[in-house]
Amino acid sequence: MSGSALTVRQRLAAYAGLAKIQISAQTIYRSNYLVSLLGLLFKVYLLKEVWVAAYPHSRATMGHGQQISLSAQIAYSTLASVQYFVFNPWTLSGIPERVRNGQVAVDLARPVRYTAQMTFGQAGVMIAGLPFVIVALPFAILVGGAEAPASAGAGLGYAVSLVPAFLITLLTGSIVGITAFWTLETDGTSIIYRMVAQFFAGALVPLWFMPGWLETLASWLPFQATTYTPIAIYMGKSGSVVSTIGLQCVWVVVLWLILRLLAVRALRRVALQGG
Amino acid sequence: MTGLMAYVGARLEVVDPLGIIHVSELVKDFRRPKRIKGALGGLRTLVTRESVIKRAVDGIDFTVDEGEFLGYLGPNGAGKSTTIKMMTGILQPTSGKIEVAGIVPWRERQRNALNIGVVFGQKSQLWWDLPLRESLQIIGKLYAIDPARHRANVDWFVELLDLDPFFDTPVRQLSLGQRVRGDLAAAMLPEPRILFLDEPTIGLDVVAKERIRGFLSALNREAGTTVVLTTHDLDDVERLCRRIILIDGGKVTYDGDVESLKSRFVQQRRLVVKLAAGVEWRGVGIPGVAESIGDEAVELAFDPAEIQVSELITAVLADHQLTDVAIVEPELENVVHRIYASAGMA
Ligand SMILES: Nc1ncnc2c1ncn2[C@@H]1O[C@H](COP(=O)(O)OP(=O)(O)O)[C@@H](O)[C@H]1O
Ligand SMILES: [Mg+2]
Repeated sequence: MSGSALTVRQRLAAYAGLAKIQISAQTIYRSNYLVSLLGLLFKVYLLKEVWVAAYPHSRATMGHGQQISLSAQIAYSTLASVQYFVFNPWTLSGIPERVRNGQVAVDLARPVRYTAQMTFGQAGVMIAGLPFVIVALPFAILVGGAEAPASAGAGLGYAVSLVPAFLITLLTGSIVGITAFWTLETDGTSIIYRMVAQFFAGALVPLWFMPGWLETLASWLPFQATTYTPIAIYMGKSGSVVSTIGLQCVWVVVLWLILRLLAVRALRRVALQGG
Repeated sequence: MTGLMAYVGARLEVVDPLGIIHVSELVKDFRRPKRIKGALGGLRTLVTRESVIKRAVDGIDFTVDEGEFLGYLGPNGAGKSTTIKMMTGILQPTSGKIEVAGIVPWRERQRNALNIGVVFGQKSQLWWDLPLRESLQIIGKLYAIDPARHRANVDWFVELLDLDPFFDTPVRQLSLGQRVRGDLAAAMLPEPRILFLDEPTIGLDVVAKERIRGFLSALNREAGTTVVLTTHDLDDVERLCRRIILIDGGKVTYDGDVESLKSRFVQQRRLVVKLAAGVEWRGVGIPGVAESIGDEAVELAFDPAEIQVSELITAVLADHQLTDVAIVEPELENVVHRIYASAGMA
């Protein structure tokens, strides 16, 4: 029957299709991935060298009252670099480009929700990088280092916590992207976002080595939940695994609400003022 | 033709006798920050937040019946695209009413999207990095098209639009004409009741235009799809549209069929006569005939309601020896240019 909206099931199939099509679209960027994987391995290696040089001869130091061994620190920076690589492809969100070139009009003529189209598409872009990382992981461990999870529970907790970590990255990127409706241009914002997000995620320096005030600030921002939190769970340095993951989920909900709110305002703006 | 039969079968719905698109007293204002010129103009523009209002659509009324093929014409900036964007639900009217297949588009944009197909000449709904085949696949998912119908429709479109030679080529490598054909297939795949086309033939060569016209005409004739077409190509209009609406400055200046537009705006016919060698033009001496004398021929403009063609020809022949004589009917192109010119637009 014409005119009746899509069912929830049909919508989910549509969104999954949008993610899938972005995964296949990314295959033409294979060589980009391969080159940037070399960059990743180089970064892992350099960070290892820095930590080896920075650590005292005892090969252990204190961070926020916990003993952090050199090998644990190297394992952290290896895992953090790899994880950050998968979650942060070269485009944060498809929104700015589509707003700038007017393609947004095409998106708005679709029978499914605009923000869902964009976020599922971006999810596809992020997932497309996964196979490359699986290939690169052994090499990363080779040039960096690795440790087994603190316990079987910690390993499981890590795997689970990657899901909200992924969603938080997706949502913060989309929030930056949707500001394009007001500013058109988001290149500057994106650069600042990437710097801030990478630092506060703990992707360069773990939160346990940040001075107290900085760590407090980081813990009030969503970014730590994308990188630091899962790895801290993995290493058994996070406190209660369940409540840590619960907190991540709270961030997912909060960010999702912020994105929805911005999207409603953005589309209202388009409806009133044109694209 | 099995594809066509299947497509038509699905489209046999109850036709609303009261019309499928209703637009009344439709107005759209755009508000833009007022640019202040002079010293620190940019900064003052930001601070004062004064704005200017541009009325793009200014009280438009029309009804479109199901199955009509409507040409929506007007000079650049007339408000055509703005009207189409309101009918697709992207823009919200400032005032007035709009209803498309029983839905107020801006209130229920997603539901409206299931009833309509849209092709913007300058924008593509296809996925740039992927072959056309994959774009049509995902569109099947986006519109929840039944797989069997999807297959049948794709087969039909591949045949009708001759998509086969480039069906597996990434869209970014297609020529403009191929891309627009792909976009038409994408728009019509979900079997929408209404198709909106905003300058779909812009920049296309004659062959590509012809193919697209053939497709549109088949869709409208065989499947009963209602089509609203915006174009600057008046050949498109003469070939396809039974009715046209002319707008200018956001207002409707004409609504009716192509023939009446010609006769209403161009009362004049022209008689073109070529003089035999050595013959001087001496005039016809009939009041109401405007003569313009060229190197090759003499053109006589007259109103057929006042002056008989035979009377005019007789008067010419009485005084001159001719090699050729022809009556020129008005072309839509000339008519529309004349209308734009009289409104000070062209
Ligand atoms: N988003 C917008 N903001 C401000 N003015 C606009 C906007 N879109 C269109 N206009 C103005 O509205 C008028 C009608 O535009 P449009 O509908 O695109 O005309 P057409 O499609 O007939 O060429 C033009 O004067 C145009 O400059
Ligand atoms: Mg236009």
